[in-house]
Amino acid sequence: MESKSSTTGNRDNPNRNLHGSKTMMASHFLRALFRIQQTSTSSSSAGRSRRIRRAAYASMAYSAGTRRAWSRALLRKLRSRARLRFPRRLSRAATPQRRDMDQAQVLRKLVPGGPSMDDCKLLEETADYIRFLTTQVRLMQTVMDSVSS
Amino acid sequence: MQPSSKEMQAMVGGLPASAVAAHIALQELHNGGAADHDDFLDQMMSGLAPAWQMGLGGYDEASLLTSRLRQHQAAGGGSPPPTGKSMLLQLNHHHYAHHASPQQQLLLQSMGLPPAGGGGDSGGFLPLPLSLGSGGSRDSGLLFDRSREEVDAPFKSSDSTEAEALYNGLGESLQRAAQAPNHHQHFPHPQNHRGAPPAASGSPSTGGGAVPPRPRVRARRGQATDPHSIAERLRRERIAERMKALQELVPNANKTDKASMLDEIIDYVKFLQLQVKVLSMSRLGGAAAVAPLVADMSSEAGAGRGGADGAAADDGLTAAENQVTKLLEEDMGSAMQYLQGKGLCLMPISLASAISSATCHPRPPIPGGLSQLIRRTAPSPHAAGDAPSSPSMSALTVQSTNGGGDADVSRPSRCKD
Repeated sequence: MESKSSTTGNRDNPNRNLHGSKTMMASHFLRALFRIQQTSTSSSSAGRSRRIRRAAYASMAYSAGTRRAWSRALLRKLRSRARLRFPRRLSRAATPQRRDMDQAQVLRKLVPGGPSMDDCKLLEETADYIRFLTTQVRLMQTVMDSVSS
Repeated sequence: MQPSSKEMQAMVGGLPASAVAAHIALQELHNGGAADHDDFLDQMMSGLAPAWQMGLGGYDEASLLTSRLRQHQAAGGGSPPPTGKSMLLQLNHHHYAHHASPQQQLLLQSMGLPPAGGGGDSGGFLPLPLSLGSGGSRDSGLLFDRSREEVDAPFKSSDSTEAEALYNGLGESLQRAAQAPNHHQHFPHPQNHRGAPPAASGSPSTGGGAVPPRPRVRARRGQATDPHSIAERLRRERIAERMKALQELVPNANKTDKASMLDEIIDYVKFLQLQVKVLSMSRLGGAAAVAPLVADMSSEAGAGRGGADGAAADDGLTAAENQVTKLLEEDMGSAMQYLQGKGLCLMPISLASAISSATCHPRPPIPGGLSQLIRRTAPSPHAAGDAPSSPSMSALTVQSTNGGGDADVSRPSRCKD
């Protein structure tokens, strides 16, 4: 992960707080991945992918800690073992009107812990969430590359 | 007077801090944005210049791409850019330049130039015009129903003294609020007179007719006619700060409109979540796990595509196509959107073959990805329309919905690479 942190470290200057948590995210995720690989070698691919996705969000939330509303909400969701449900479904409601007036609502649905935030905090949490999401995605891509090479 | 004094104090406390924060953020934005942009441009120019871009409005995901390129350059010193393996057409609608590793062609990649000159550095930040009189009428619960002029203001680029100008303007307007409740001017005075000193505490009262020539130093806690307006302004300014921070994070953040910026943010979050999902589907560790996926595909897809799946045993495209077939069953529009989000597009096979024949002349550093694909895989350019048994070319391409309407989803052919 050294190269990854060095290349991405200088890019997000305002995001210094992310630098330290990257390694934590990576180690947590890799450990979880390893565990998943060991336990479910022949189970359904859908189940495995779900577990991997869950592990991704878990490592995001763990490395973000409890100082963020979204990570707290995410941890809560993970601990209650509820099915990780995201509004991935490209809702038809969004397509008719692009500039829907309740953009804040749409955003609240996307960001964990959203509904209980005021607009200002929502934007702040969204920024942090995006940072961690991008880090996680990069991490996963790197893992995928190294696994398949 | 209780509420007003409280809010005034809050404003005094909050403003200087946020002024400093905004200023720092501005500097960093300049530095960071410029550096990022240069790096990305260098990488782009070194051989990835896309030959043909069907318009460009896309998220360039500069950071992803650059980190990947740097990694590869560090690791394999001079290895060919990873984009050679898998390329794709771009949309003319806005899209995300997605990026995958060379070894794993799961997530097809679409290269994009950064939006001309404007990608990373959105420059400074013009503060909101202050509309005291109309402030009270806003509903504090709604985030985004501002008037256009207010909305556009924060996103104009300017130099870094705008942060000061904000507070100068704020102070001035506070002072003028005593006289003109409907004052909503923004004073772009690039001065550095922003002092916190409450020395001018008496100034609002003495504002009178000599307002313009007064120095810019103003007490934040001027005479507030309307505590709501102060809170409102504070809130708006905080929101503007956050939006600026978000602008840095989200690629393609050159939108001047708050509403469209929010749209971008929402789309980006959806895209990232989708990426996590797709990546988790792809990391199934080996061909054995991929086989069920392939079998799934062939059972779902129907006659037209059944034969090709057996040949495409690599997990290069299957996960994405899995997703697409599932979506196609429920809703065509959502399938389109999904592919759009990944930077793919669906096109009639005739067009694909036409394009492939057009670009199929050997030129070593072929930038446009499709020609790479074609050169590598299909000796016969017209094989795109062949029977599925010959896996020729996989342009899994979704036609942009606002473009030509004939989404001839007949048979997107498969590529084995």
